[in-house]
Formats: sequence, C-alpha cells, structure tokens
Amino acid sequence: MGEQEKTGVELLDISSPANFPYDYSCGKIGSFFFKALRDQQKFYGRKCSECGKVYIPPRPVCGPCYAPTNEWVEVGPQGVLECFTVVHFSFLDPMTGKKRPVPYGYGLIKLDRADSRIQHFLSESDASRLKVGMRMEAVFNEEREGKLSDIKWFKPVE
Amino acid sequence: MAEQKSKKVKAIDETLISHQVLQVPFNYSAGPVASRFLIALRDEKKIFGIRCPQCKVVYLPPRGNCGKCLSALDEWVELKGRGKIQSFTKVNYQESTHPSHPEQFILAVIKLDGADTGLTHMVGEAGEDELEVGTLVEPVFREYRKGNILDIKYFRPIKKGRA
Repeated sequence: MGEQEKTGVELLDISSPANFPYDYSCGKIGSFFFKALRDQQKFYGRKCSECGKVYIPPRPVCGPCYAPTNEWVEVGPQGVLECFTVVHFSFLDPMTGKKRPVPYGYGLIKLDRADSRIQHFLSESDASRLKVGMRMEAVFNEEREGKLSDIKWFKPVE
Repeated sequence: MAEQKSKKVKAIDETLISHQVLQVPFNYSAGPVASRFLIALRDEKKIFGIRCPQCKVVYLPPRGNCGKCLSALDEWVELKGRGKIQSFTKVNYQESTHPSHPEQFILAVIKLDGADTGLTHMVGEAGEDELEVGTLVEPVFREYRKGNILDIKYFRPIKKGRA
C-alpha cells in the first residue's frame, strides 16, 4: 500500500565511530631501544657499519649505504631543538585513541651524538619561549611501559 | 652527560609489542530516503520498503533510485515485518567495528514479506541449529530507539502459536 503524504522529513545523521586496535612487534632493534627507555631512561641509537651515521629511532639498515647498522651508541638525553610548532588543532592520537588537549608544543630534537632527529612533545606551548637551536632534555614518566610515550616531553635546559 | 658508549648487539630476550588504537569517528547524513525509513522505525516501529514505479521491485532498505531502471522512487510500502531467512551465518569473533553485541551472534539476510530484496540483520533468541533457510522470523524492536537500523534489536523465529 502506497503512502506518500509524509513530506519534509527530518534528516538523520548516522554515527558509526570505529576503533581499530592494532599491535605490532617492535622487533629486536626496537625492543632494545624501548627497553632502555623503560629500564634505564636512556636513549640508544644504531650506528651504520659503513658511514658511521647514528640513527635514532634506531633502524637495522642505513638508508643511504644499505649497510646494516651494527653498534649501539648511547645518545642524549640532551639535544638541540631543530624545529618546532605549537599545535592548536586537536586530533585523535593513534597511541591512545584520545585527543591531546591543545595547545601543545611539538618539535624535532637532535640528541647529542645522534645524526637523526626524534619528534616529541615539548613542555612549552608558548611559541615565544621556544627557539630553534635551544638546548632541550628529555623528561621521563615515572611509570614506564617501553614505548615512546615513556618520555613525557622535552623541556628547555635551564 | 654520559660518555659515548657502544655495545655489541646481544640476543634479545624480550620482544616488545606496541599496542595502538586508531579511532575513526565517522558520521554521515542518512539523506531523505533512509531518514524517513529510520524515523518510521524509531517513532512507529514500522518497516517501510520503497517500490519502483516501473519494474515494481520493492527495495528494503529503501533507496532513492531503482538499481535496474534508475527510476526515482517514492512509493513507500509498509511491510508486515515478518519474513523468511534467505541465508545466515554464525559470527564467532568480536571486533571493534561490529555493533555492540555478544561475542557470538547470528547474522542473516532476511526477506520480509512484500519486499523483493533481502535485509541483513541479526537473529536472536535462537541457536544456529534451530534455524534454516526459510525459517519465519519477526523483528524485535528496542525499547529506546534512536533512528538507527539497530532500533531493530534483532529478528527472532516466529514460534508456533505466536504467529
């Protein structure tokens, strides 16, 4: 039976949020790195067997040389702020599935004795108090689980 | 600052696993046709299909255009609600993209009387060995309905005496 008198219907929005949990193995190299963060609050980079470049986060093979990295080198915990931004747009963090409150500082830090940079949160969210080239140091969480978020953030060295 | 140290690679006793959660928020507008279908579920506990004026196919869920002849559709047809299972399976795992329900559930394609296409939904109040292709089922509506296909909690077999 046809029924056509209803017009001007309310339009509905359908909401179907989804969680996609995923796990991956950190492998030998990643596990060593994260355990050193967790257990010793230390950073280790991997040194290329040919060019001597020290990678952090560590990697098993050197990008330019294609040679295996074969040595652990302790780097940091201080370094230099090479670039930064202040995030004002909140988005979902894949590590937690939650939004980090804005504003917060985010930067690339070149740790002492490393040849590559790591990205992390900064203690400072006021851009006028950050400067490229300033000395930074890692602040570790008291409770550590063996992941990059064991580092709370990097703060300017007093 | 610590002096530069180097270590020989040692066998790793413990391999770490990184657990991450990607959360994907997703909203879309149901549009005029599906909205009307869902509002009838929500407000009247009625299931409407939509009939093609040209080829007479009754679509469920309703759609704006006929898939066969592309005609615009606006002839709403109230369906009785009961129908037959066309196919079914038991889902034995849970994952975050499923709507919330128990670890195991039965998913079925149900052809309601008066419709020409099958509706995919869950079947409750019965184990898979109580079902077969052709089993008569009826919808069970939720008490609190939100204008969502899950306003139908599931379909259940029509027991003798209840039909």
